[in-house]
Amino acid sequence: MIAYLSNIATLAAIFGLLAATLNFMVGQAGIFSVAHAVFMGLGAYSGAQVALLLVPDPFLACLAAAVVAGGLSLCLALPALRVRGEYFVAASLGLQMMAVTLFTEAKGLTGGMGGLVGIPQPRIFGVVVPVLPLALVALVVFLLLMAAMQRGSFGRTLGAIRDAESAAEALGKNVAVAKALAVAFSAAGAGVAGALFALHLSFVNVESFTLEQSVLIMAMLIVGGTGTLLGPILGAVLLLSLPAALSFITFIPPTDIGSVQQIIYGGAMALLMIFRPAGLLGDQKRGRSEA
Amino acid sequence: MIELQLLLGGLQNGALYALTAAGFALIFGATKVFHVAHGATFTLAGYVFIGAWNAGWHPALGVLAAMAAAVAFGIAMERLVYRPIGRHEGGFFTVFVAAFGVSIVVQNVIAMIAGRGFANVDSPLATATEVMPDLFLAPVFWISIVAAVAMFLALTIFLSRHPAGVALRALAQNADLLRAYGLSSGKLSVLAFALGSVLAAPAAILTAMTSGINEAIGNHVMLISMAATIVGGVGSLRGAALAGLLLGVAESVVLVFLDTQWAEGASFMVLFAFILFRPSGMFGAAVAR
Repeated sequence: MIAYLSNIATLAAIFGLLAATLNFMVGQAGIFSVAHAVFMGLGAYSGAQVALLLVPDPFLACLAAAVVAGGLSLCLALPALRVRGEYFVAASLGLQMMAVTLFTEAKGLTGGMGGLVGIPQPRIFGVVVPVLPLALVALVVFLLLMAAMQRGSFGRTLGAIRDAESAAEALGKNVAVAKALAVAFSAAGAGVAGALFALHLSFVNVESFTLEQSVLIMAMLIVGGTGTLLGPILGAVLLLSLPAALSFITFIPPTDIGSVQQIIYGGAMALLMIFRPAGLLGDQKRGRSEA
Repeated sequence: MIELQLLLGGLQNGALYALTAAGFALIFGATKVFHVAHGATFTLAGYVFIGAWNAGWHPALGVLAAMAAAVAFGIAMERLVYRPIGRHEGGFFTVFVAAFGVSIVVQNVIAMIAGRGFANVDSPLATATEVMPDLFLAPVFWISIVAAVAMFLALTIFLSRHPAGVALRALAQNADLLRAYGLSSGKLSVLAFALGSVLAAPAAILTAMTSGINEAIGNHVMLISMAATIVGGVGSLRGAALAGLLLGVAESVVLVFLDTQWAEGASFMVLFAFILFRPSGMFGAAVAR
């Protein structure tokens, strides 16, 4: 039972980090990406390769993951600089589909469908540590960073770009650099989450980084509320406990549990958007005009 | 000869993509709703046809049922999802998430009822015969091309001649002015959704006859429609249809050089190139970022 709970808690921290970093992109910068699982995947593969080939040092793995995911986030930043709104969503969807193909085909780096197996447990100075404290630390560090940025000049610049891009540009803000940095930061966070995910499961394959995963992360953010600091965490906890809760309902045949779960996610997303567009923790007045 | 075979296969797929994309573009142009659940319309229509076929209905009845299901779903989306969101001035992301949520629900409900994996109908129309040395064509090829051309022509004539079609184009240009002339933008939105959705039905039926459909095909269809609308230029039906055709051919011809798993990638390379270098698309007016 303890092991089960700690597993759920670790996943909640990892997905909380994913949802929170996506929130930074969506809620702060107004860049509506549905390709977050791509950067989680990049981080997971780079973290796993560091652990497999070099040392199972979690800090090194997270660093490598952040660098790779942050660096390759340029693929997402480029279209974000050219187009907005629906166009960008379409571009990020395209990126997501391309990435899944690449993850499947680049067998040398990712192991293809079979994935990477036997990723060693993380060790700090030779001592095996569970992923839970690491994930919690990462989550808190990123939340603090984001809270600091939200109050600082960078966050305000991003908010200005989100609300009125032309006006921000007219006031001398470098829109391109600010957007690219926001995307890179968010992707780096997703990469760290991915590395922790890989270390936690000691196995990764492309199944974890598909469009469904991106949508799940987005659903966590939406359910919790965009633009809030703790909303995404609440959303992650709620959506992760859903499968556990469903397994207690006996009349659903086990083969259909996956479908029922998806129907609940999908239905919740649609109903929330119709009746409570700013999410559970969101400021309802604000959500009406801009979410 | 394999190149010609792939090119013709691409044309067949492209014609169906063109129909679906034209429906998406019609809805987006007239109502400014990015109808992400258009893929779900496609899946629903395809499965209704398969269900009718398996139940032993006359094929024509099956086609009608599929079209009715597509129209009903489109109108239901407009009335129950998009309009309530539009009423509290939700932004495009609100609409996107809600429509995506509905797509997930449709996909999984279909999976629970019809089972996962590919389903198709065995029709003699889909059996290929050798028309030239090493060149195989099924009657479905001609049906697809003729259906696409006929429906597109009918749509064009409707939009340019019929008063309601003209009103739809007016809605696309300036909704406020339209209301000032005393026309109901609500009724016209319903019409746009009905017309756009019905275009997805023949494509779904013909796909069910040839390669078969599965519960997740809606994602692919939605992405292709979206990509075609953007590549073609938003607001241009002709552009969307042409881009759909182009994407179908690109997906097929790329197989000369690469394996099948890259086919979808080809579409997105085209989309990416357009977004980076010509975001207004082939026929679109320059759009504000």
